[in-house]
Amino acid sequence: MKQFTAEMPSVGPARGTPLETALSRSWKRLAPGWPLANLIAVNPLQGFEALPFEEALAQAEAAFSGPGLPEPMQQVNRESIKWLQVFFDEGQALLPLPQKEKGLYASWRALAPWDARLRRRVSEERLQAWPETPEAALRQGLQELDLPEAEWERFFTLLLTTLPGWAAYLKYRVEWAPDSASFGSPASLTDFLAFRLSLTVLLWPEAARLLQWHEDRQQVVDPRPVLDRLQQNEAAYQAALLQELQAASPAPDAPPAAQLAFCIDVRSEPFRRALESCGAYQTLGVAGFFGVPVAFQKDGTRTPSCPVLLQPQQEVPLVPQGPEVQQQDRQRGYAQLETLKHLYQSLKQAFTTPFALAEALGGWMGGWMAVKTWAPALAQALKQGWTGAIQPPLPVEPDLSGLTLEVRSQYAEQALRAMGLTDHFAPLVVFCGHRSTSTNNAQASSLDCGACGGRPGGENAQVLAALLNQADVRGALAARGLVIPDTTWFLGAEHNTTTDVVTLLPHALPEAWAEAVADLQADLKQAGALNRRWRAAQLGTRPSELVQHRAADWSEVCPEWGLARNAAFLVAPRALSQPLNLQGRVFLHSYDWRKDEAGTWLEGILTAPMVVAQWINAQYLFSTLHNGLYGSGSKVTHNVTGRVGLMQGNASDLLQGLARQSVFVDDVHAYHEPVRLLTVVEAPRRVVDRVVEQHTLLQKLLANGWIHLACLDPEARQTYTLTRQLHWQTCLG
Amino acid sequence: MELAILASWVHLDGLGGVMGGLVGFIGLIVGRFAWKYLRGDRSQKPFYRRLLMLMGTLGVLVTANHLLLFWGAWVLSNILLVQLMVPHPQWRAARASGVLAGKNFLIGALALGLGFLLLADVTGQTSIQAILNTPGAGSRSTLALALLALAAWTQSALWPFHRWLLSSLNSPTPVSALMHAGLINGGGFLFARFAPLYLETSALLLALFVGGLLTAWLGTFWKLLQSDVKRMLACSTMGQMGFMIMQVALGLIPAAVAHLFWHGLFKAYLFLSSGSAAQEKKAPAPAAGSRWVWLWAGLGGGLASFSFAQMTGKTLAADTTFFLLVIAGLAGLQVALTLLTDLHGTRIFGALLLTGGFGAVYGVSVAAIESLLAPLNLMQPQPLHPLHGVGLVLLLGSWWGARLLASTKELPRWYQRLYLWGLNASQPAPPTVTAYRSLERTTPSFT
Repeated sequence: MKQFTAEMPSVGPARGTPLETALSRSWKRLAPGWPLANLIAVNPLQGFEALPFEEALAQAEAAFSGPGLPEPMQQVNRESIKWLQVFFDEGQALLPLPQKEKGLYASWRALAPWDARLRRRVSEERLQAWPETPEAALRQGLQELDLPEAEWERFFTLLLTTLPGWAAYLKYRVEWAPDSASFGSPASLTDFLAFRLSLTVLLWPEAARLLQWHEDRQQVVDPRPVLDRLQQNEAAYQAALLQELQAASPAPDAPPAAQLAFCIDVRSEPFRRALESCGAYQTLGVAGFFGVPVAFQKDGTRTPSCPVLLQPQQEVPLVPQGPEVQQQDRQRGYAQLETLKHLYQSLKQAFTTPFALAEALGGWMGGWMAVKTWAPALAQALKQGWTGAIQPPLPVEPDLSGLTLEVRSQYAEQALRAMGLTDHFAPLVVFCGHRSTSTNNAQASSLDCGACGGRPGGENAQVLAALLNQADVRGALAARGLVIPDTTWFLGAEHNTTTDVVTLLPHALPEAWAEAVADLQADLKQAGALNRRWRAAQLGTRPSELVQHRAADWSEVCPEWGLARNAAFLVAPRALSQPLNLQGRVFLHSYDWRKDEAGTWLEGILTAPMVVAQWINAQYLFSTLHNGLYGSGSKVTHNVTGRVGLMQGNASDLLQGLARQSVFVDDVHAYHEPVRLLTVVEAPRRVVDRVVEQHTLLQKLLANGWIHLACLDPEARQTYTLTRQLHWQTCLG
Repeated sequence: MELAILASWVHLDGLGGVMGGLVGFIGLIVGRFAWKYLRGDRSQKPFYRRLLMLMGTLGVLVTANHLLLFWGAWVLSNILLVQLMVPHPQWRAARASGVLAGKNFLIGALALGLGFLLLADVTGQTSIQAILNTPGAGSRSTLALALLALAAWTQSALWPFHRWLLSSLNSPTPVSALMHAGLINGGGFLFARFAPLYLETSALLLALFVGGLLTAWLGTFWKLLQSDVKRMLACSTMGQMGFMIMQVALGLIPAAVAHLFWHGLFKAYLFLSSGSAAQEKKAPAPAAGSRWVWLWAGLGGGLASFSFAQMTGKTLAADTTFFLLVIAGLAGLQVALTLLTDLHGTRIFGALLLTGGFGAVYGVSVAAIESLLAPLNLMQPQPLHPLHGVGLVLLLGSWWGARLLASTKELPRWYQRLYLWGLNASQPAPPTVTAYRSLERTTPSFT
């Protein structure tokens, strides 16, 4: 079985010169930060996971700058932001930073001697004489600061943690971006530190004092009150959940009318519960890319759609379906819309012509603004109406002709086995990805599917369904002992988590299943209404508003609660949790230990989906604990920069993490309840033990208290929790 | 008698109507927008209180006839604006933005007050309409007009009083929308209100022209360098205000009012939708274009200029209206250029038709406002002056230059230095930059 692992890509050999070692170690303190296009949740304290949670909390707070940062360092930060903003710009400015194609350090070095703001403090001669290469600049800087070798790593770390957002984005680009070579502005980790150190040394010759500031901060920070509250939350939640699970009598097995697989995302749980109450449906939980690690191509853009821990293995074009004439209409319409956008941009991004543009468009913009503000639903309908009139929408299906039978059957088999669906197939099996819809929301992608790399997951579901309906794939699977009856048909669907509308995605549907599908659609509609009622209460609004306004209103700052209040990760058959109301707080991964004596599937689950869940959990946790430090603050003053990230107001560090509006009801009351992820596995202890023993990553997270682990041992009929010393402890239920 | 007293305090006319309509419309939109946008924010209630009061003071401002009333409404409006800008004074950078704006408005308030005192002293009148009807040219009245111009300069963020505007983006988004469609136009409104006096002092008009041109050029150049959406919009507003003042200085007051009106709506929209900036299309690299494309595009420019002139009832004359015709023509040229490039030289007729349509829409927008202001008789094109020619050449040349620079790989050294100068000059004031994590205001406590 091929599975992906969550071990961090290495920064480079730790062996090397003392300078190289200090450099690579300092970067390890920092978590990567994804761009707005696909905001992946990460633990902002990822670089501190090697420490016990309590110590990490204190260390991180001391390192990530807060009020009290020395004024000269603030000045360095302002200058850094000025350069980084224009260097990392991906198309906002018409006139980009000159020479940026030469790299971060090189372009700064080339222009710095003319920078009047630098020249106020530094002579032109000194700037002209400053080293040409980043490596030499690092050496020069360290020498001028007269830092002992033992302090290099800490000083570098502070250069990163006192402006962590931009550094995190670079770390993403260097270590995680799918095609890092495609950026017009190359930069390496060395580049960044050389740039930071140069500015620091030039503007603040006594910068070695930063070390003292850090030591003082370490004395001041006190994480105990936060920890106490956190532990109270966790103890209460843990006791309640484990007791419920222990007491639950598994739901009886009845032949289902349909089976529906949903993403493990916590938002699936209440919807699944609602759907199950509407009819004889069996639901399953699995990572929402449905084991299809591909990149989609549509209208000239390529979008990877799989967990960021994986690289897409196949390219799948998304092809509009319909007669040739309609295809041409659509293509022409697409080109016309593109031309209109070009026209607007070419008038706006130029000299002199914006004067005329503002007057010519002012009236239209005024009217449109009024409609959007006072009648958002109408505005949405109008927009769909006219874009549809120019570019008639056609159903889109993935073109799988480029995938060999081997690849297709491998994807199909892995997906089915991962969700434990290998026999007792219902007549209809639906894979349900999910997406969110919001308007004018810079952080919209943070509400999409994390398992699909921060984008909607419907297309992955569509691919899997199409594969499983192919005769040759079914033949290949049967040869491997996975027999799908002819009476079973597969469909892809997409759950809109903002509106709770589930759409069945375009795919051939033989007549024999038409009635079953019609029934299912009616029940999906009813389940949506049920779930909306619950969610509306959580949002403090009416259910109808979720459909009409939250998604369409351009002034909405909280279209949905996303994964807020997430608390646990349950690895067990659905039958176990089905009788319970888990309040939308639990990631549900289907798992049947009886089919996994060797523990290989469990290993896969605990080292990949669970790690993603931990990243999400930690992001919500820290964004709530200290929204200004680890979150992105209030949306009310967000400012999109470089088309890649957000700043606060005039200019700031690049913001990472969730906005205040995503985790707080108001300026005072949190909606998210901070707890560390509680992973609960239904399996004999020995199976769980084996997995933990094999993975240092899991040991690190468990022993340092970043997650909790509980085991529902079906053999011993006992519930255990794992201590920080990695010993099982009987949990009194 | 009572009516006469009322008339000495209040004056209703097309100008007040246009300005009041703009402010009221934006107020309604921003008010509705903030209902959701500021949900859960401590400052939501004070926001509405201040917004309502601001609508009131602006209503007074656009209808005020008495100097004292005008001044009071002006000052109060600005105080309210500063309060709206800084809903959370704990955030140091935002507070600094407020202080910067406040200082700027203080200069404006003092200049306006002094100017009004002088005017009242020279004319012996305290009502604006009476002053406008009092012939009182002379050095003291010119000084008064210069002081008023200074007030307008600070209010509309014209160079060198632009800094507060480029540092004002710590404001909540709806406040920025309100500011860029509302109070920033105070300068233009002040000129329009006292236009009859300014139209009599051509030397002052030329000075205004130069100041406006400089601001228009700087604002637009800086705008093209910005990598964040809100500062780009702020620089853009600065440029637009410069252009608006140029129209005032050309004696085309109604055109200037039309500009501030439509630009206000345009910019308010862009601010409110700034959360979508990351999804926006990149500007296409300016196409080189064959000789034929340029020829057709030139024709398109002429067509746009012609239809603009038709709609606004302007004729080709050797006065300052020529200026507007050229601007319309240049925009038309750009429209045609983009269309022809995208269509790869096909459907030339359609492209030209669209270009002409663009000029017509532009013209209709201007004509609509001009007709509302017609009774005020403020459309007084001035004779062309060599400086006007310099201005036109600068604007056309810069259009050309920006196109070249955007598509050049090896940038000349002088330009690199110019770039860096522009980048530095357009930075927000240092104290208004948030230089460290953990904003003081957004740390709702968990424990």
